Amino acid sequence: MSDERARTWALRRGEPGYPPALLDLGTDVPGRLFGCGNRTLVGGLELGHTVTIVGSRRPSSYGLRVAEDLGRLLAAAGLVVVSGMARGIDAAAHRGALAGAGVTLAVLGSGADVVYPASERRLYRDILSSGAVISEAPPGQRPEPGAFPKRNRIMAALGAITVVVEAAQPSGSLITARQALKLQREVGAVPGPVTSRVSEGTNDLIADGAAPIRGAQDVLDRLLGVGIEAIRRCGPPLEPELAGVAEAIELGSRTCDAVAAASGMVADGVAVALARLELLGYVQSDPAGCYSRTTLIPPES
Amino acid sequence: MLEQLALLGTEGEPLAPSGPIWSADGADPAAPDLADLRGQPYLRYALEVAAAGGHSVLIVGPPGAGKSLAARRLPSIMPPLSRSEAMEVLRIASVCGRSPGPDTPTRPFRAPHHTISTAGLVGGGSPPRPGEVTLSHRGVLFLDELGEFSREALEALRQPLEEGRVTIVRARHAIELPCRFMLVAASNPCPCGRGEESGECDCQPASTRRYRAKLSGALADRIDIAISVERPSAEDMGAAPTSDSASVRDRVIAARQRQERRLGAGRCNADMNLAELRSSCGMDEKAAAMLANGHARLRLSGRGHDRVLRLSRTIADLEGCERVSSDHVARALTLRRRGPD
Repeated sequence: MSDERARTWALRRGEPGYPPALLDLGTDVPGRLFGCGNRTLVGGLELGHTVTIVGSRRPSSYGLRVAEDLGRLLAAAGLVVVSGMARGIDAAAHRGALAGAGVTLAVLGSGADVVYPASERRLYRDILSSGAVISEAPPGQRPEPGAFPKRNRIMAALGAITVVVEAAQPSGSLITARQALKLQREVGAVPGPVTSRVSEGTNDLIADGAAPIRGAQDVLDRLLGVGIEAIRRCGPPLEPELAGVAEAIELGSRTCDAVAAASGMVADGVAVALARLELLGYVQSDPAGCYSRTTLIPPES
Repeated sequence: MLEQLALLGTEGEPLAPSGPIWSADGADPAAPDLADLRGQPYLRYALEVAAAGGHSVLIVGPPGAGKSLAARRLPSIMPPLSRSEAMEVLRIASVCGRSPGPDTPTRPFRAPHHTISTAGLVGGGSPPRPGEVTLSHRGVLFLDELGEFSREALEALRQPLEEGRVTIVRARHAIELPCRFMLVAASNPCPCGRGEESGECDCQPASTRRYRAKLSGALADRIDIAISVERPSAEDMGAAPTSDSASVRDRVIAARQRQERRLGAGRCNADMNLAELRSSCGMDEKAAAMLANGHARLRLSGRGHDRVLRLSRTIADLEGCERVSSDHVARALTLRRRGPD
């Protein structure tokens, strides 16, 4: 802990580098912020390029998957993903953002140098490697129950849109959504099964007028304009054969054999193509050798 | 008798003459043939590379994807036993009280159930008896449901895999048994077996994560190839059989001969040491660039890098090439087992 404490920095309200988005909190503006990690990220936060993703600490596998996908795709699209590092949805969103090679910002209820929950120590370290962790609480402060609702208002203020992935009724995530509304920020919610307890809160939000978020594009549409795929990076040009294989993966083929069947190529030709695509960044593979598409798009020809 | 067995094939024993004994091609007509595997050309290819270089394989896929079907056919594409190898196999069988019969011994295939005890797997008991690793000497040890084996059993496999022999220590004496086998491991993609992407999987993400961590951690440094498979489609099942074991085996034998010329009799790429690995992989410029690129872009670890090099060498041997080309490296990158080392 002392290691991180040594590297903790503080930002006073009014100082350069203090995130301007927080000033919208009016009388509730935090007087000081403490943080670890990438200080320039916090100073350079542009409202309009940030998304806050929150949700249940006990999500379903559906929620986790959506949160991770949103984090990954939105981070890869160039947005800064803000969340609270709690177990469940928050952690999945951070993880996704890191997997999308993006930057992510965690707002803690404890001191910025206190890893809470402790089980996310590894995630904490990963976040610090490119992003930052901030908190209103002084360094060394242990987590206290009252600190979390207060922390939620900071998350709500930092995000141009707050997306609730899964939330039971009542829940802390809904408090964040309410605060975002109060700040006239956008609020979105991921629809879920009406039979699922953890989707009650989000389905209610949608019924009350929150934007239904069916995927990363819905968020990008709201922040950057309809149809704009944003700060999405364009990859290097692809030969027709590679483009065909990338498309087969995009359409759901995940193994070499499946791509070979879909494209009519010979299997070892597919293997060569997949390795090339992976090196170019168009596809990625999991430990079992299962392939999926990344967010890189080929240039228009 | 066990002591005699203990002397077998442990330390660089010359395995020449390398020609087969008894029958002309050493093939077992009753052995299952690769032609039974419909569709799945890449799975065949992975087996061919594995057999050619003696690489251990992990196959991940849902039930019904043909994992054990494929594994059982691996011995049929491996080179026939040399005379001295056949003797070893016979002596092990004899020690275990199995009468080898008048036929040519074939490469053993052992598939112990995942509830097997550690002693059953690596040998033990009193008096000590050979375990599955020794019974699969010169053949294939198939571990279906790798994630279900006890941690202890998997840990105990380390030394045998590393050294090709296993030491059983008793109060008065220790004996050493040979166990040069190829490992084929298979696993479901998640605890329920249906796979996250299928949409039917009802596993908790945390339990899937634990399951996968155990998989990728288990024997990680000894498994070179990992491949994902899916259930063959109806079209695949109806398709005409492509190549049979004999034609694949001819290529494998040719590749093994290249390796023996380079490394010495009875050796293969899977047991090259680092110095041999470095000196044997003459790469062209494009291949070196691709490997360097892989190192950077795919975050290959040091071991991962060596693994790709080793696989590239085998793939080049299969194609009869002296030098490793960028296509060989690309194929190796796709075949490689990913994950922590």
